Amino acid sequence: MAERAVPRVTRLLGIVSFLERNGETSFADLAAQFDVSEDQIRKDIATLWVSGLPGYMPHELLDFDADLYDAGIASLTEGQGVTQVRLSARESVALLGALAAMSATGAAPDVVNSAIAKIKAAVGDEAIATISPARVDTEVVSALHSAIATRSAVTLDYTNARDQRSVRTVEPHRIVTIGDAAYLECWCRKAEDYRTLRIDRIATVTPTGESVEHPPSDEGGFSLAPVYEATVRAERDARRVFEDLPGVEIAVDGDHIVARFGVADEAYVAARLLTVAPHLASVEPAALRAAFAASARSVLASLN
Amino acid sequence: MAIDPAERLLNLIIALTHARARMTRAQIRASVAGYEPADPTLDPETAARKDAAFERMFERDKDDLRRMGIPLQTVVDPAHGDEIGYRIDPTDAAMAPIDFTPAERAVVGLAAEYWADAAVGADARQALTKLASASGATPAIELPLSGRASTSGDALAALAEARSRRQAVRFEYHAASSGSAVRTVEPWTFRFVHGAQYVIGFDRDRQAQRSFRLNRIAGAVKPFGPEGAYEIPDPLPADDEHETPLQTATVLVRPEAGHALRRRGRYLRTEDGWDVFEVDFRYADALRDQILMLGGAARVLEPHGLAASVEHHARKALEVTDG
Repeated sequence: MAERAVPRVTRLLGIVSFLERNGETSFADLAAQFDVSEDQIRKDIATLWVSGLPGYMPHELLDFDADLYDAGIASLTEGQGVTQVRLSARESVALLGALAAMSATGAAPDVVNSAIAKIKAAVGDEAIATISPARVDTEVVSALHSAIATRSAVTLDYTNARDQRSVRTVEPHRIVTIGDAAYLECWCRKAEDYRTLRIDRIATVTPTGESVEHPPSDEGGFSLAPVYEATVRAERDARRVFEDLPGVEIAVDGDHIVARFGVADEAYVAARLLTVAPHLASVEPAALRAAFAASARSVLASLN
Repeated sequence: MAIDPAERLLNLIIALTHARARMTRAQIRASVAGYEPADPTLDPETAARKDAAFERMFERDKDDLRRMGIPLQTVVDPAHGDEIGYRIDPTDAAMAPIDFTPAERAVVGLAAEYWADAAVGADARQALTKLASASGATPAIELPLSGRASTSGDALAALAEARSRRQAVRFEYHAASSGSAVRTVEPWTFRFVHGAQYVIGFDRDRQAQRSFRLNRIAGAVKPFGPEGAYEIPDPLPADDEHETPLQTATVLVRPEAGHALRRRGRYLRTEDGWDVFEVDFRYADALRDQILMLGGAARVLEPHGLAASVEHHARKALEVTDG
């Protein structure tokens, strides 16, 4: 299917603005700047070349240097005042919303905040007023950033969702944020496999002086693959627990909600369910129900 | 003969930007490349069909301009029989230059990936194209960072669009306490608290400032009533959330467990295989949840109400699984 009109005309305006500002540019560089093929850039320039003011006489059209065009270089000789337009409200919030959400996890590098500041200054709109980052340990976060940057293995003091504490040496690759939480993607030398660890469960980061040896996972992050699908029916007061689960679908049924979500970490989900137990009507499948019951029995056993 | 819609839009933008005063629909149809001019030799039936086709096309193009963020002005000139004319004020529309470092440029590139397949992802990609045209050539670098949304972002985009036009919106909202209801709200601003996204605005039904968590909005956010219907207070009124007083609990934690709880508490002593801590808390529910999440590796000694609440939750859980 042909590219839709709005993305294309936005790029057409952009190419003219870019050339006005940066002077002659090779098709290859324009292709990289706008993330399209060189062939598309060639078509875009051809379209610009025949566009202009009503009348469409030669002096009313945009114009490019023909010799340079044949050499694969865009050189604008007449722009007819064409310029890129500012960000729309939807575009601003799509951009700022994504960056603000990443920043609010508390684990994004400072460059995210400096990009937000520059965009806000250019947009002149304070629509996204405040970002309150989650309370993650800033020492942990900056130690992870510098370990990733220097490709250095680190030893972590890590407590998993079942409250099992371990000391493990990992090769850190990347930080990923999913909704409100930040994770470290790494190769774990103890497990001899790729792991995605929640950053707010890392207590300390100690440099080892050793280098990262394993390449990043091909999975492209987000390797918290669900093991099975769960369905929980609950009173609507329980909603808060479900709405943070990645990929959750919440349907409303009178005074109840029905939440469907993938379970990657059974013990963690079971413990979360415990926090809204008085509001639950049913938990499916049996595997999750068993984990949920086991976690409730451990709580009762501790009281004796 | 028909040209690419992108080409027609480009010619329309150029024509309206250069229009000395304004252009009427008839002038646009007659002179802008891409529209089929009226043909006086056609029979009335065919002419009426072509007129209607032009009107539809022009309305679509106006929507596209608006979606792109181009401020299309309508100008009424009494000297020309009150017919509506259009123009674009170039100074109002231009994108300011923006200088990103290569790392900032890479960060901005993450925004389009962030929304994945949601509709607002298309808006983010548009924004990237605009930023690419306003910044210098920056080498592409790859950041060891990535993000993924856990909500669709469509409500966020619709609210932002309504806010920019100062137009109220209506949506169905599931409040945690009062059930679901249709709310009519004038959106003022957005807040990102930890990972949760809120819109702050004036709730017309409650006649008061309210905040709404975006993932509790069900279905579409629809514009309601005229544009320019309200003003956003400047400065915004502060949230009048009253501070809950600080309390102290005595909590028992198994050795080598409850690490987060240990970090927020004060160690008192160790007895009968438990480490005893004093923990300050403001919200009893939050501390109860933290204890429950430890699945028996922690228990509450004091206050009694908190201890009873932990036990109640565990018993209710067994009613669900056994019942």
